[in-house]
Amino acid sequence: MGAPLLELDRVSKRFGSVVVAESLSLTVRTGDALGIVGPNGAGKSSLFSVISGDLAPNSGEVRFDGRPVNALGAAARCRLGIGRTYQVPRSFEHMTVFENVLVAAGRGGGLAGRPAAELAAAVLEQTGLRVEANRPAARLGLLQRKRLELARAIATRPRLLMLDEVAAGLTDPEVRQLIEVVNGVRREGVAVIWVEHVVRALVGVVDRLICLAGGRFIGDGSPAEVLASPEVKEVFLGTGYGVGDTPGGGAGR
Amino acid sequence: MSEPTPRPIRVTRSRRPATASAVLSAIAVVALLSLPYVVYANVTSLLVNLFILLVLATMWNLLAGYAGLVSVGQQAYIGLGAYIVLVLAQNGVSPFLGIPLAAAGCAIAALPLSLLVFRLRNEYFAIGTWVVAEAVQLIAVRFPSLGGGTGASLPGLGGWDPALRLALTYWAALAVVVLALAGAYLLLRSRLGLDLTAIRDDEVGARSVGVGVSRAKRIVYVVAAGGAGAAGSLLIISQLNVQAGSVFSVQWSAYMIFVAVIGGLGTIEGPILGTVIFFALQQTLAERGAWYLVVVGGLAVLIAMYAPQGLWGLVSERFDLRLFPVGYWLHGDDAHTEGFFGRLRRLVGRD
Repeated sequence: MGAPLLELDRVSKRFGSVVVAESLSLTVRTGDALGIVGPNGAGKSSLFSVISGDLAPNSGEVRFDGRPVNALGAAARCRLGIGRTYQVPRSFEHMTVFENVLVAAGRGGGLAGRPAAELAAAVLEQTGLRVEANRPAARLGLLQRKRLELARAIATRPRLLMLDEVAAGLTDPEVRQLIEVVNGVRREGVAVIWVEHVVRALVGVVDRLICLAGGRFIGDGSPAEVLASPEVKEVFLGTGYGVGDTPGGGAGR
Repeated sequence: MSEPTPRPIRVTRSRRPATASAVLSAIAVVALLSLPYVVYANVTSLLVNLFILLVLATMWNLLAGYAGLVSVGQQAYIGLGAYIVLVLAQNGVSPFLGIPLAAAGCAIAALPLSLLVFRLRNEYFAIGTWVVAEAVQLIAVRFPSLGGGTGASLPGLGGWDPALRLALTYWAALAVVVLALAGAYLLLRSRLGLDLTAIRDDEVGARSVGVGVSRAKRIVYVVAAGGAGAAGSLLIISQLNVQAGSVFSVQWSAYMIFVAVIGGLGTIEGPILGTVIFFALQQTLAERGAWYLVVVGGLAVLIAMYAPQGLWGLVSERFDLRLFPVGYWLHGDDAHTEGFFGRLRRLVGRD
């Protein structure tokens, strides 16, 4: 067990009457790989945004490396080591793929000049985007854009990498490739939080799984335990995901 | 990052060396420098107005095209620049020396004002900058020594030979325009330029990779204020008088927006092309009163709807043309790229 890297202390976030995080507490340690599953609208992406600094929580504290970061903006948190991808890619459309990653290496990664360019090129190699380096991001398809999101987040040299549904729409070989990339990042000692509907991608990486529904954690443990829990089955897999014994399956949907 | 194989990489600022556009720019500057010896003063006076608008459009492009700061209040700094030159001249400082001082003064004034207007977003920012401009004008007309609302004439240039004065005015305007374009180019080539380009495309995305968005915006706001101040100082020098209602007029913002939108936001070349088109229309339609504004406005609307990249965007995409390369090109292991002169040598069979 590593030292606590990310701590959420009773974090709440509401949009009007919609609660996306209700007094959530969570500790992620150096080297952890945590998966988060949950139905659409459960608050997974909002939770990421509260951690990355895109959204301010209504109450509670976010700590990174033992230090409260509530007052810091997204850019400052990125420079501290919180890297993230967005479910809907936020590519810099009129910049090339290489330039997209170079900004990340320069600012989030804190490098300049040649080392920044070398890191950017290496990350493109690692994520399979090297051949697209000089293409404007606007000309990429959705899957390539998701890859670019991942490449950009890795290039910020994060200590915590948050992935938001990067596996959606990938074929099996592509999922295996992705797992390899994420595990490669993990081996560098980077902690990973991965929100994903594609469970087969998650289980290839994470050793801990949380189910988030209605702004609350309703399961926390090994992937097998959590996926087997009746409560999780009900809210997440309830609509007959090939699970026969779910009591009241589908009631929540 | 799992032990990336250290492969030698080569990065340049454009696919091909930009020697050709550097040579072209140098030729253009030399030709423009020699113009007062070749043509009558009415031509150079016209060009002074063109240069003023080009400086303004270039600065507005940095603001709106890169930093996402849609200001309609840059006339605050045009007016302030003009009045700084006036006050300095009234105290015996040469108006030409006043140009850099006006630019510096406006940049300094922009810093505290940015604290005010940066509290506002989007359309509120636009209105806020306009309100600031009106406020600066109201303050300027409070001083009887500055001519109040009726205006004042610029002392210090009266005894000069008109031909020399007009030539010097032209050269000063040319110097300001070259500095503005070169400054914008160097700014965009710098690390800050890469930040700005990212902010231009996606502000939230830029923040998420560690770009200090507020800092970048503030720097651009200060630089643009300095540029507008220099333009304002050229304005008073070329007209030899200043009238608050005219230098603080919101129509300056309308001109900047027209020019930048027609030429294309988010490139250095766009405002240059836009300024030339604006002046061509203004000159050809000059006898028909303000009709040129109707045409320019209609053109801007059409371009905003059907070619949001502007006319330069259409040209550069069609011909893969960039006069001011500010990007980064990652060369492949076997990529062979040749410059303009390389291609020329090959064409004439010497290579």
